[in-house]
Formats: sequence, structure tokens, C-alpha cells
Amino acid sequence: MAKKNKNDVYEEERYTLKKTNPALKTLIYIFLLIWALINLFPIYFMFTFSLKSNDEIFGKNIVGLPKDWLWANYASAMKTGNMGLYFVNSIIVTTLAIAISIIAAMMATYAITRIRWRLSNLTNAFFMLGLTIPLQASIVPVYVVLSKLHWLNRYSTLIVPYSAFALSMAILICTGFMVEIPFDLDEAARIDGCGLWGTFFKIILPLMKPALSTIGVYSYLQCWNEFMFANVFISDSKHRTLPVGIKALSGQHTTDWGPIGAALVIATFPTLFVYIFLSKKIQESFIAGAVKG
Amino acid sequence: MKMKRLVSTLLAGAMVLSLVACGNAAAPAASTDAAPAADTSSTDTAAADTDAAAADTTEAVDTASDEAITLEMWCIATESDSNRHSYEAAIADMQAAYPNITLNWEAFENQSYKTKIKAAVSADEMPDIFFTWSCAFLGDFVAAGKVYCLDDAYQNYKDELPEVMLGNTTYDGKHYGVPLTMNIVGLFANMDLLKQVGYDEIPGSYDEFIACCDALKAAGIIPFGCAGKETWCVTEYLESVIEKSVGADALNDIFLGRATWNNPDVGAAVDTFQKLVNDGYFDPSGIGLTNDEVKANFMDGKYAFYMNGTWNCADFAANENFKDKVKVSEFPVINADKAKLGQLIGGPSDTLAVAASSPNAAKAADYAFELGKLICHYGYLDGCGLPAWTPYGDTSGINPLTQAVSEICAAADSYVLFGDTAMSADDANTYLSYVDQVYGCQVDGTQFIEGLANDIR
Amino acid sequence: MADTKTKKANSIVAQKRRKKIGTGISIFLFLLPGLLLFVSILIAPIAVSLYRSTYDWNGFSEGTFIGLANYKELFTNGSIKFMVALKNSLILAAFSVFIQLPFSLFLALLLGRKYKGERAFLSIFFMPVLISTVVIGQLWLKIYNPDYGLLNTLLDALHLSSWKHVWVGEVKTALGAILVPTIWQYIGYHMLLMYAGVKGVSPDLREAAMLDGATNWQVDRYVVIPIIKPIIRVSVIFAVTGSLKTYDLVRILTEGGPFQTTEVPSTLLENMLFLRNRYGMGSTISVMLIFLCFAFALLISAAFKEKEY
Repeated sequence: MAKKNKNDVYEEERYTLKKTNPALKTLIYIFLLIWALINLFPIYFMFTFSLKSNDEIFGKNIVGLPKDWLWANYASAMKTGNMGLYFVNSIIVTTLAIAISIIAAMMATYAITRIRWRLSNLTNAFFMLGLTIPLQASIVPVYVVLSKLHWLNRYSTLIVPYSAFALSMAILICTGFMVEIPFDLDEAARIDGCGLWGTFFKIILPLMKPALSTIGVYSYLQCWNEFMFANVFISDSKHRTLPVGIKALSGQHTTDWGPIGAALVIATFPTLFVYIFLSKKIQESFIAGAVKG
Repeated sequence: MKMKRLVSTLLAGAMVLSLVACGNAAAPAASTDAAPAADTSSTDTAAADTDAAAADTTEAVDTASDEAITLEMWCIATESDSNRHSYEAAIADMQAAYPNITLNWEAFENQSYKTKIKAAVSADEMPDIFFTWSCAFLGDFVAAGKVYCLDDAYQNYKDELPEVMLGNTTYDGKHYGVPLTMNIVGLFANMDLLKQVGYDEIPGSYDEFIACCDALKAAGIIPFGCAGKETWCVTEYLESVIEKSVGADALNDIFLGRATWNNPDVGAAVDTFQKLVNDGYFDPSGIGLTNDEVKANFMDGKYAFYMNGTWNCADFAANENFKDKVKVSEFPVINADKAKLGQLIGGPSDTLAVAASSPNAAKAADYAFELGKLICHYGYLDGCGLPAWTPYGDTSGINPLTQAVSEICAAADSYVLFGDTAMSADDANTYLSYVDQVYGCQVDGTQFIEGLANDIR
Repeated sequence: MADTKTKKANSIVAQKRRKKIGTGISIFLFLLPGLLLFVSILIAPIAVSLYRSTYDWNGFSEGTFIGLANYKELFTNGSIKFMVALKNSLILAAFSVFIQLPFSLFLALLLGRKYKGERAFLSIFFMPVLISTVVIGQLWLKIYNPDYGLLNTLLDALHLSSWKHVWVGEVKTALGAILVPTIWQYIGYHMLLMYAGVKGVSPDLREAAMLDGATNWQVDRYVVIPIIKPIIRVSVIFAVTGSLKTYDLVRILTEGGPFQTTEVPSTLLENMLFLRNRYGMGSTISVMLIFLCFAFALLISAAFKEKEY
């Protein structure tokens, strides 16, 4: 740990760039700030949306601050909408799915990129097939199999398909990172008497830390908002996840949008906070990754 | 394919019955107000009805076997659905009346439920009781042999549920569904705006109606609001115009595949509708709006008229600012030679059905009837729709809009079910895509009828 | 003598073979978890789809085998709108590769240069990706609303009322109205991916280039971009396959309308599978979609390889 910090400082010192033209620099900052505002706007919009009534949402006051701050929207999202439970379910499902896909992807990528064998390229292409498969197409076949196995209405009903769908992307990102690790390290490890497994666990995995956060973020995106599988595979509300729960807030002919806004805030804000908190770590890991070269 | 044909021809037969039927069923709705208790709130009635239900129970479900069973039910009465309360109240009553039967029910969002139930039917994972739409939607499941036949169970409910109400869920002469509430298309009007141009009532004749629209337009008021992004909203207008031009029987024959679409009268009616569009009676922004947005605009006083399902009654009546301004009526007759007042668009569509795969199918069937009766009862009291079952108890507390609709139905002569419900799924989508093009003036009446005659198998 | 030699040789060969077998087993074990998940959840359903695409089947009754008739109908029956859908998603793919990705790369390179607040900017730029498409869709509906939408209000304020449109309802503007938010939302997605690559470039290399008198832009152009090429390739593949599979925003903004001019393959697929009860045709569309995505992914990989040598 201490060693790493020293490295960071060392690097920080060396990382000096040429002075940029100050006018250009200001211009760039103005640009960055404007772009930041554009990207922050949806968050403001979502938050105010969640405190309004249908009257304001449709026409009277679309982007202003709410006239009456309807905190009751949150109460109804939590109480009648049951968002608390769905949130926990989503966390369980997403976390485990990410974990499984990361482990499986790391192992597969190792076999594909760092062991020399004839079919490695083909295997890689095979896994890439996963990027091309539309989710809708597999709903019914997977559902039929799951139902034959009496494997519905559990957390694992969603975890397994989610990790499978996140796998291709995880392998793709992993490959990008793993090919960057110098092959000398493997040979050195082998000379030291490490087998394939030893090399994998002792040498490669620790160096793949920066990839971990990237894969995590991208797998998260695939799982957290997934609606189709969650809707079809889960029929008891005990195991429902957020997207289905939020959708269930709208009625056949009547929809109260305020509580939906509140539910969306409940679904999104915690992850935003976690992301901001983690982004420091994520970026440190990127920089740590830079040391490897 | 063959089966489908068969079903639709049979359905056609059934619909004829239902035409006559709906009028009868709605008649007592308006006249059963003679209940003793004056101005009872719905909770009071609920208590009284529980007893009634409990009394029925003993005879309906054979109590010989006391073993406890659990039934699963899926429906679309989500928290913010207007039917939620009627489901909750009905299920509470049922649980009190049948302590042996535990009902586990789950509600799903309307659109995604269609995906869910179809996948469940494919995988044989249906719950014991499930919500479905009548006619073609349930028909496909019946044709695949996945639905339990309710003929035996129905014997106990003949007196309370007129057989004609089962028309939309009868296939091959057998009954497969328990109807809940029914709805028709209503012409809702904002009377404040109509008064501004000198009308105290919704015009009764088509010429007057058009004159009224012209006056509205001249006064800078948009006559019609219609959500072009949701084609079913366009059909609410178009089907009414066609029906009031060619008559209910002709339209029914076409919807149910007994007559060809290639009917010049229909083409002329479509042109009539398109003239309304071209004359600028519709909000030009409508093509980019959802129904939620259009409905909000209507309640906000942007449009004079809004043609949509009578399920809106409860919402309109619940809005303090709006409830005194709104009135509902029937679309005026366009061609008096072929059509007349009392020919309506709508009918019972919301239905409960029992899965053939259910281990307790027979008990589930009885349960579905009892539950359907109660949901219908409470739904009617809440103003969510008109009752498919013979109404009982005190109905005087029902909102005036729903009561007005009941009067329209009481005088009804025949019903044509919503086109997209009546037709098979594939045909309905082809139909909707043509309706979309009519509204956008991409095709005219002739192209519409010829195109549909070609594309619908 | 000779005997022992051959014996020795034999034992070496045997040892090698044993080692090879050992490596083979290891490879298999490394791949096993991934393969298990992948084959059971993704590949088997494709096989089922392939089989079902040769049937006229509604999803629950008995189906009838019709050979390749579905494929033929897909391309010849104009009312299915498959070609329109394909065209739309290819337009989206083109915009995404030629506008979205360069912009993402630009942001990634800019932030890679250690500006003050780099971390905050990075987090903020990524936020639209984390927000549910429902919110993004609702927001853009409010922007496009013909009566009180921000865009038309703005045009009024600028005295450009003649430019006003019913953005999501008119044939001319509907596709554009989908393109803008889709491309905007995922700029951050590709930016983060590229940023990770940019940060992976060794500072030594940068510094060496700087000492040779290169400007920031030159360093980016000649040092950074070639190194992060594998990641750019990943981004291009994501952008293209993602465009072919677009779904959410189309559903919310236009529902494929007006007159089905903004349908994309995924909306058609869902309509066929679950709305029109044409499971066979739905399967056909999904097979076509998979085939196209895979073909594009291979093409892109090949294009990048060619450039390398």
C-alpha cells in the first residue's frame, strides 16, 4: 500500500505538461462547464419532477421548481409502491450478477489472451456473439427452460441470465486491459515455478484491478435498469426489482406521474452518490493501471 | 389458421347475442336505485354485500372438502389504476367469505402484462386465475387449449350474470371468461367552452355538431383533442364516425371478418373523418402527444371535446375543478338511413379466466365468478365502468358522469366492440397502422378500405 | 543404448503431451464458467430462434413448418417495415460512430490532460448514462412538446416561429428527435471507456514526446490514440451493435411512429413476438439482427486490423 502511494506521488511530480495558452485554457473551461450543466440538467429535472403533480408535469410548469413540494409522492412511492423492498432486491441481483460476470470474464479472458492455443481467436469471436443478441429474442426460450427446472421467482432466476448477458461486454473490456499487461511477467512467473493458475491468481488478477471498476460500471448499467427479463421471470412481488416496480406505478388508463418520478429518484440517486464516491477510487485505479507500463 | 377462423365465426355468432344483451343488462343499472338506505357510502354497502357474498358462498362452492388451498391470480390493477380499489375491496370480501382459500394476487403494468401473460402461456406457467381481454386476446389462448372451460361453474351464476354478457368470451359455444366491467366510447365535452359559443347542451344532430365545431374554431377554441402517438385514441373517433355512418351491424360484420373491408360506405365514412381532420377541428399538436398529455390538456380547458373510453368518468368526476364543467354524450348520427342513436362502440372486455393447467381449476372457476361479481360491483360504484353483472345494492352514490353513461347504455340498441380488441392480434396491428395513416392524411378512404381488404387475411 | 535413448525421447514426448493435456484441461476449466453461462442463456435460445424462424407459430398453439417463407416475407412485405427499421438503425449507427465517438474521444483526451476538476467533470459527464431512460425520455418529451416544450418556446423567443415543429409527430423531424437524445446520453459512456485507456498511457511516453517538442494535440494524435486503438475498436463495436439494438428511447419518444417511419428492429421484434402473436416472424427478425450485428462486429475488427499493419 505504502509503496503504491509513493509511486503516485512520484508520478504526479513527473506528470508536468507544457503550459497551455491561457486564453485557450479559459475557453476549454467554459466549454467543459457548459457541457457539465447540460449533463446535470436531467438530474435537476428528475428531482423537481418527483415533487410535482400531473397538472404541473403536463403543461403548467414543466421545468420550474414545483409550486407545492409534494413530498407525499415519496411517501406513496415507498409505501404503496414498495420501493424500499424493490431497491434491496435490485441491489442483491445486480451485485451478484456483476460479481459472477467479472469472475467468469476474467477467467475466460485469461484463457483466451494469455495461453497460446489454436482456437483462442475463435473462442473470442464466439463470446463476442453475445454483444449481438437482442434480449427480447431469448425471453421465451429461457423462460421455458427456467420453468421446466422450477427455477422461477428467485433471485438467481435473474442473476444468472444477467451475468450471462453482461459476460460478452466484460470479456471485451477485460481483453483490452489484459493484452496491455507485458507477457514477460507471465514468463517470469513461470520461471519462478508458477503454473497457469498461479500466474492467474498471483500476477494477472492483481494487475487487473483497474479493469474491475470499469467492468463493474458497465455491467451495472446492463443489470440495474433491465426490465424485460425481470417482468417475465419474476411473478411474486417479493422478488420484484426496481424497473418492474416503477412500471407498476402506472395504471391502464390513469397514471400519476409524481410518484413515478419519486420512485425514479429513489432508484437513481443512491447510485449517483455511490458513483461519485467511487469515482475517486475508480480514477485512482486508472492511474494505478498506468504504472504497469 | 383453421382454428382461428372457426373461433372468429363462432365469436361472430356470440356477438349478435351480446348486441341485444348489453342493452338489457344496463337497463336495471339505472333503475335499481330503489335501495332502502338513502345515501349510503360505499363502505357501508361493502359491509352489507359481504353478507350477501357469504350467503352465496355456502351454496356456490361445495364446502364438503375443507382442505385449504392457495390460488394465484395475476391482474393489471396496479396501485395507480382506477380499478385498484375495487379489486382490493372485492378480495377482502372474498377472504372473509372463503377462509379456506388463500388468494395470492399480483398486479402488473398494462403493456408489460401482455408480454408476461403470453410468455406464461407459452411456458405453461399461468397462474390459476388471470386477467385477460375478451375476444381475440383470450381466443388465441383458448384455441391453444390453455384455458379452463367455465360452463359448469356458470350454472350457479345464471341469474346474476346474463348469458349475453359472456358473448365476447364464448368460443365454440363454450364459455371461458368471467366479465368484469364494460366500457363504451363517450363524447366528453367541456361545457364552459361550449357555452362561450352559445351551446348549453352537446349538439344532438351531426349538422348542429359541425356548426358547433365551426363556432368553436372561429372563437379560437380547438374542438377535438386526440393523441396521435397512441393510435387506439384515434380509433375512438374513427370507429364512432364509421359506426354512425354505416350502422353497427355493418361495422360488426367487418370487424369480425364476416364482411370485407372493401365497402364504399366505410370509405366514405373515413373521408368524413378525414374532413374533420382537414377542416382543422383536431389539435394539430395532437400527432405528437400521448393520451396522458391530451387528457391533461382537455381537463385544462384546451379542447371542447374529447372522445375516449368511459373509464375516464371516475377521473373527471374526482377532479374538483373539472367535474362541474364536463358532460358526456353519444356521438351524433351522420347517416340516418343506416345508423341511429343507441349504436355504441364498446362492450365487456376486461375478463378473468382460469388456466387449464391449474390443479384446482374447478374451485378456481367458482372463485373467479364470485370475485368477478364483487369486482364488477365495486368497480361500478367507483365509476370505473358499467357493470356486466346485474347490479345490486345502493348505486345512488355513483358519480353523475357514470350515471349519464348508464342512461346512454340503457337506451342502447347495439354495441360494436373496439376494433383492436375484436380483431386478432396481427390484424389489429395492421388495422391500427392504417388508422394512423388516415389520421396523418397519408391515405384516403378508398385507399384505406382497399388496403385493409388486401392486407387482412 | 539406442533403446534407452528412445525411451528417454518417448518419456519427453509423453511429458510434453501430459503437459499439453494439462494445459488443455486448464484452458477448459478457465473457460468453463463463462461457457456454461453463455451457452445456456445466450446460445441455446438463438438455436431455438433459428428453429422457430422457419415456422408460422403464434407462440402457444401448434406451429406449421414454412421453411424460409418468413425470411422472404420480411424483405418483400412492405407493411412489416423491416427495411425502414434497418435503415433507421444504420443512420443511428453512422451518427454514433462519426459524431458521438469523436466527441467522446475529444472529451476523454481533454480530461486526460489533468485539468483542475478533472474528476468532477468526468463524473458529471457520465451521469446521463446512469439515469434511467424513462427519465431521459420524459425530459426530452418536455423539450419536444409542441405546445409548451422548451424547443418551441425557445424558437418563439428567437422570433423563429416558422421553424417550430411537432418534433416527434412529423415524419421529417421524428427520426432526428430520436437521434439527438440517444447520441447525447451515451457520450459519457464511450468517454469513460476511452478515458480509462488514455490514463493507461504511460507518462514516460508522453513526456518523451513533449521533450521532442510535440504539442498536446500532437501527443494525443501520434502517441495516445494509437495506443488506445483497441479501446476505440471496442467503442465502435458497442456503438454499432448498440445502435442496431436501440429500443428504449424509441419506445418512449415516438413508439415507432409517425406511420412507422421511426421503427427500429427491436421495436418490430417486440411487436411481432408479443403484440401481433407472430412468434415465428419475431424469431426471424431476431436471427437477422444477430446476423447483422455479428457481421458488423467482424467487419469493424477487420477494418481495425488492416489499419494496424
